[in-house]
Amino acid sequence: MSGHVRVKDLRAGALKEGANLLSVQDLRTYFPTQDGVVKAVDGVSFEIEAGRTLGIVGESGCGKSITALSIMRLLEKPGRIVAGSISLDGFDLVKAEESEMRQIRGNDISMIFQEPMTSLNPVYTCGDQIAEAVSLHEGKGHRSAWEHAVKMLHDVGIPDPARRATQYPHELSGGMRQRVMIAMALSTDPALLIADEPTTALDVTIQAQILELMKGLREQNKMAIMLITHDLGVIAEMAHEVVVMYAGKVVERSDVNTIFDHPHHPYTRGLLSSIPRLGEKRKRLEVIKGVVPNPLNLPKGCLFQRRCPYAMPICSTPPPFQEVAPGQVSLCWLTPDFKPPAVGADAPAQIAEEAAAALSVAK
Amino acid sequence: MDSTVNPTLAHRDDAEIDEVDLTPVRTYWQMVRRRFLQNRLAVVAFILLAVMIALAIIVPTVTGDAYQKTSLLNPNGSPTTTAPLGYDDIGENTFLRLMKALQTSLFIGFAAVSIIFVVGVSIGSIAGYFGGWIDNVLMRLVDVVLSLPSLFLIIMLVAFFGTGNAWVIIFAIGLTSWTTAARLVRAAFLSLREADFVQAARALGAGRFRIITRHMLPSALAPILVACTLGVADSVVTEAALSFLGFGISPPEASLGNMMTNAINFMVRQPMLIIYPGVTLILIVLAASFLGDGLRDALDPRQRVEG
Amino acid sequence: MVTYVIRRVIQAIPILIGIAIISFLIVHLAPGSPIDKFRTPRVSTEQLNNLIRMYGLDKSIPEQFLSWISSFFQVWKTDNQGHFIAWGFSFTDGRPILEKVVERIPATMLLMGTALATTVVIAIPVGVLAAVKQYSIADKVITVLATVGYALPSYWLGIMLLYIFAIDLNLFPLYGMHTLGGSDDLPDLAWHMVLPVASLTIQSVAGWSRYMRASMLEVMRQDYIRTARAKGLPPSRVITKHALRNALIPIVTLLGLTIPTLLSGAVITEAIFGWPGLGNMGYQAVIDRDYPLVLAFVMIGGAMVILGNLIADILYAVVDPRIKY
Repeated sequence: MSGHVRVKDLRAGALKEGANLLSVQDLRTYFPTQDGVVKAVDGVSFEIEAGRTLGIVGESGCGKSITALSIMRLLEKPGRIVAGSISLDGFDLVKAEESEMRQIRGNDISMIFQEPMTSLNPVYTCGDQIAEAVSLHEGKGHRSAWEHAVKMLHDVGIPDPARRATQYPHELSGGMRQRVMIAMALSTDPALLIADEPTTALDVTIQAQILELMKGLREQNKMAIMLITHDLGVIAEMAHEVVVMYAGKVVERSDVNTIFDHPHHPYTRGLLSSIPRLGEKRKRLEVIKGVVPNPLNLPKGCLFQRRCPYAMPICSTPPPFQEVAPGQVSLCWLTPDFKPPAVGADAPAQIAEEAAAALSVAK
Repeated sequence: MDSTVNPTLAHRDDAEIDEVDLTPVRTYWQMVRRRFLQNRLAVVAFILLAVMIALAIIVPTVTGDAYQKTSLLNPNGSPTTTAPLGYDDIGENTFLRLMKALQTSLFIGFAAVSIIFVVGVSIGSIAGYFGGWIDNVLMRLVDVVLSLPSLFLIIMLVAFFGTGNAWVIIFAIGLTSWTTAARLVRAAFLSLREADFVQAARALGAGRFRIITRHMLPSALAPILVACTLGVADSVVTEAALSFLGFGISPPEASLGNMMTNAINFMVRQPMLIIYPGVTLILIVLAASFLGDGLRDALDPRQRVEG
Repeated sequence: MVTYVIRRVIQAIPILIGIAIISFLIVHLAPGSPIDKFRTPRVSTEQLNNLIRMYGLDKSIPEQFLSWISSFFQVWKTDNQGHFIAWGFSFTDGRPILEKVVERIPATMLLMGTALATTVVIAIPVGVLAAVKQYSIADKVITVLATVGYALPSYWLGIMLLYIFAIDLNLFPLYGMHTLGGSDDLPDLAWHMVLPVASLTIQSVAGWSRYMRASMLEVMRQDYIRTARAKGLPPSRVITKHALRNALIPIVTLLGLTIPTLLSGAVITEAIFGWPGLGNMGYQAVIDRDYPLVLAFVMIGGAMVILGNLIADILYAVVDPRIKY
C-alpha cells in the first residue's frame, strides 16, 4: 500500500478532543426485497467527537448494526445507502471510491464484531492475522509486523503474548479471542473504533474485563468509540453520549447522564424501567407491551405509537425532533414535561403537520 | 411507568396496546410446500418425472407386447403416426420400445431404492437410537459394505446369480448402496436423541418404538428423501451400465441400457437410435437431481448455499 | 498422528477380512461350481479332479477360505521359479495373479492419474469463479454445464466421444494404448489417451466444480471473511488468502477419496476404449468366471477404498489446524 496517496490518515488523537470526527447526516439505508423495501436505517443523524464514546442502543433489528456497516460501506447486497452523508473529518464516505474506503477500513476506522468465536480465520495464527492489518496499511515487513502484533497482544492483556501469537484461534477462549480482535482492530491506531455488540456473546465476568480493557485503551490512545449494544449497563459503563434507535430511526439523543436521569422518549423510558433493580420490591417485571413493527408494515406517523402508553391521535403524524432540554433531542410529540403538545391532542392531521414543521429542530 | 406522568394521558389499557405482528402463521409442511413451489426448476423437474412415470405405466400397459413385435419387412423404417420415432434394425417400434424400456428402467430404479430405503433406514435408526455396542457393530458392517467396490460387486452378483434377471439386478444394487442412507439416518438420530422434544416425549412415558417412528423419523426423513430421489437416478444409470457391459436385461426385453448397447452397432445408419434412450436417461438424471436439490432446499433452507 | 495411522491400519484388518468373507461367499454361493468352465468334452475326469485338488476345491468352504486368506496376506510368497504365488493362479491363463495385477497397474494409473490432475486444474478455478461471481452469467453458465455434465452417463459420453471424434472425424484412435505394430513412443501414447481422459475428465470436472463452488460459497458467508474486509483487504486477497484456503479443505479430502479409483480404474471407460488396465482385467475376469482373479480384484478394490479414506483423513488433519488426532 505504500506509495498510494493516503485518503485520510487519522491516527487516534490526531484531532483535538471534542472536535467533530464523524458526522452522520440523515443516513438512509434501504434493502429492496421480494416483499417490499425494508428501510433498515431511515434518517439517522448523529455526531461522534474525537476521543469521545458514543453509545448506540436499541432492540435487535432497530438498525444499529446496519448503521455501522453503512459507515464502513460493508453492506451486503441488496442493501444500499440511498441518501444521506457520512463525513469523516470532512471526507464523505458515502461518495468515496471503493479503493479509498479500503484505505480507511482497518486504518482510520476499525470495527470489531459480536461473535469472537467465528470472526477469526481458523487456518491462520492470531499473530498472522494481526500482522496482516499492520503490514497492509503501514507497509511494514513481516518481522516488524509480527513484533508489532505481539506488542498489541500484550497491550490487550493477553499473558505470554509471544506464544499466543503462534496459536490458532480455536486454541483460545472466547474472551481471549475478543481481545485478539481488539488487538487487530487497534494495531493500526485508528481514530475511531466501531464496536458492534463486543461483549454480548461473552460471559458476564469476561464482559467486565473486556469493558475495562476498552476503557483503558481509549484513555491511552485517545480514540473515539462508537459502541453498539442493546445492554443499557454497558452504555452506563462506557458511553459519553447516547443515541437510542427504534425501527430504523433515532428516537432520542443526549449525553449519558441525561438519558438515565431524565429520559424523555417513551421508548427510552420503557427500556429503563424494564431493568430490574436490586432491592426493589415488585411483583412483576415491567415490559414494553407489543412487538417491534414489521418493517414491511410500518404505522403511519410515529413508529412507536402502537406500543406507547402515551399515544394520542396526533401521533399518526410523523413527530418532530424536539429539543426537550439543552443537548437532548427526542422524536416525540410530548412536550418536555410530558404533556400533549400545545396544538391539541385531537388536532386534525393537517394542522399537526404544520406544527411539526414549526417545531422541527434541524439537527 | 414513571409516576410523574400525567394520569389523564396514561389512559390506554393493556388490551389496546398490543402491536400485532401481521405475518401469517404457517405450519412446517405448508412452508415446505411453499418453498418448493417457488423453486420453478424443481417444479418443472417434478412434472417431467411425473409425466415420464405416467407414460412408462400407461403406454406399455395399453400396448402390451407390441413393443416386441418385429418386422423384418421394415427395418430402420421412418417415423409414422403410430411409430413416432420410427423403427429399429429388426423392425421393432422404437417409441413403444422406448416406453417399455423406460418402464423397466424406472421400475428397477424405484425397486432398488425401496430396498435401500428399508435396509438403510432400519440399520441407521437402530444404530442411531441405541448407540453403544449395537451402533459399533452396525457401523463396522457399514464400513465393510462401503469398502467394497460397488460396481464391481454388482457385476459379480449379476453375472454369477443370473444375468438379465431384473430382480437379481434390483437386489444387487439395493444391497450394495444402502450405506449412505444408513449413515444419514444414524446421524440424524444421534443428534435427535438428545433433542429436547425427544426427552419430553420420553418423560411423558412414550415407548421406544413410538418415539422412533412418531418423533424422530419425520425429522430424519428429509435427507433420506433427497438421497432416495438421487438414488433412483443412480440406479437407472447403473442398470444401463450393466447392460452395456453385457450383464443387464437382455432382448427381447427392453431397458434403456440395452437399447443403447444395441444401437451402438447401428450408429452409422441410424444415429438417432442411441440418442433417444440416451437423452431419456439424461433427462431422468437431470430431473432427479433438480428435484433432489429442490426438496433439500424446501425441507431445510438453512442448508441452502444460495444457489 | 503416527499412533492414529497405526490404529487405523489395525482397524482396517477386520474390514478387509469382512470383505474377503463376503466376496468368498458370493463366489461359492453362486450357482454352479467354480470349475464349471473347465467341464468341456476335451477335459477328462482325471484332469478335472487334478484341478479340483490343485485349487483345493475338495476341502470344505471354511478350510478353503482360511487357506486362501492366509496365503493372500503373505504377499511376498514366491515359488522356486521366483513367481509371486500368494494370490493364486488365474483360471484363464494359469499365470500368478499377483503378477498379472502388477502388470496392469501402470496403464490404469497413467489414465486415472492424468484424468485426476486435469480435473483438479480445471475444476478448482471454475468453481471459485462461479462462487465469487454468484448469479452472474458466468455462474449460471457454469452451473448449467456442470449439472448437465454430471448427469451424462459416463459410457454414453464415452461412446459419443468415440463416435464423433474417432469414427466420424477420424481424429483419434479407436481403442487401446498403442497403435498395433506402431511405435511405442510418447506422442502415440498421448494420442491414444486423449479420448478416454476427456471422457473421464468431463464427468469429474462437472462434479468437482459444483463441489468447489458450494464450498466456496459456504466459506464466503463466514464471519471471518467480513472481518477480513473490515481490515481493508482488497477483494483479491480476501478470496485467495482467506476464503480459498478454507474452501479447499473439503476438496482435499475429496482428493483422498478419489485415490481408490486410481487403481481400481474406471471399469466402464476402460471397457469402451479398450484400455488395458486393471478395470478391464477385472471385468474380463467376471465374464470368464476367473474366480481367483475376481476375488483378488475385490480385495484390491476394498484395500484401495480403505487406503483412500485414511489418506483423506490424514490430509484433512494436515490442512486444517483445528484437527488433531
